[in-house]
Amino acid sequence: TGGHTTEILRLLSCLSESYSPRHYIFADSDKMSEAKIRSFEQKRSETFSNSQFTLDRIPRSREVRQSWTSSVVTTLYSILYSLPLTYKLKPDLILCNGPGTCVPVCISALLLGLLGIKRAIIVYVESICRVETLSLSGKILYYFSDYFIVQWPDLKEKYPKSVYLGRIV
Amino acid sequence: FRFKDSLAEDLRKADLVISHAGAGSCLETLEEGKPLIVVTNEKLMNNHQLELAQQLHRDGHVLCCNCSTLVETLRSMDLSTLKPFPPGQPEKFALFLDKVVGFQ
Repeated sequence: TGGHTTEILRLLSCLSESYSPRHYIFADSDKMSEAKIRSFEQKRSETFSNSQFTLDRIPRSREVRQSWTSSVVTTLYSILYSLPLTYKLKPDLILCNGPGTCVPVCISALLLGLLGIKRAIIVYVESICRVETLSLSGKILYYFSDYFIVQWPDLKEKYPKSVYLGRIV
Repeated sequence: FRFKDSLAEDLRKADLVISHAGAGSCLETLEEGKPLIVVTNEKLMNNHQLELAQQLHRDGHVLCCNCSTLVETLRSMDLSTLKPFPPGQPEKFALFLDKVVGFQ
């Protein structure tokens, strides 16, 4: 969604062309991200030839302030949906930054890893908006990601396994 | 301003911005180098929205007030006390990721 997409595109802005092909996954209810992504990739293709990317939508795992019990159901549904997608894409690296959408994808990737099908490196970057507390996705993925990046020093203190590189968006 | 596609043009022309504490609004304004007064409303806001506004205020990048103190703030403000907001560094992220993945 909105802010997350803007942040993730900034994170991608300095990556080399070795990070290819890029597969973008976002919520089906998200109207604006597709345009932002296409615009980013369009600009990128002006510098790098042979830029490859795909776009996929998955059901949104959770609306803002959705109740706990219904969130579990919708997240399970999103996991069931994203499992075949993740299997098809077999990513080497998953980069995510906090929308509920990333949890089912990461869980799918973890399952594929456990089953010996494909082991992906999961890198989570918490949003710049999170200065003192983690988002719900962050709290979950702190334990399941390979690298968990925070952008403010308070969070580094509270979550010692995290990586602090300063502000990166 | 009912829902313009982008406020970027207005932002560039502005001398002072008064905004709610939404992260996008705050960061875009600071990146344009415009002085910013953030108006917070603790009753309406998500706690985490307040976190960023408070941190930016602590670091001297924005002035903060609430609806009732806005007028007083505008009267007594000294915008020269605001510190410039350095841009984020995605290149640091790229370096880190290259190491992680093994592209050195």
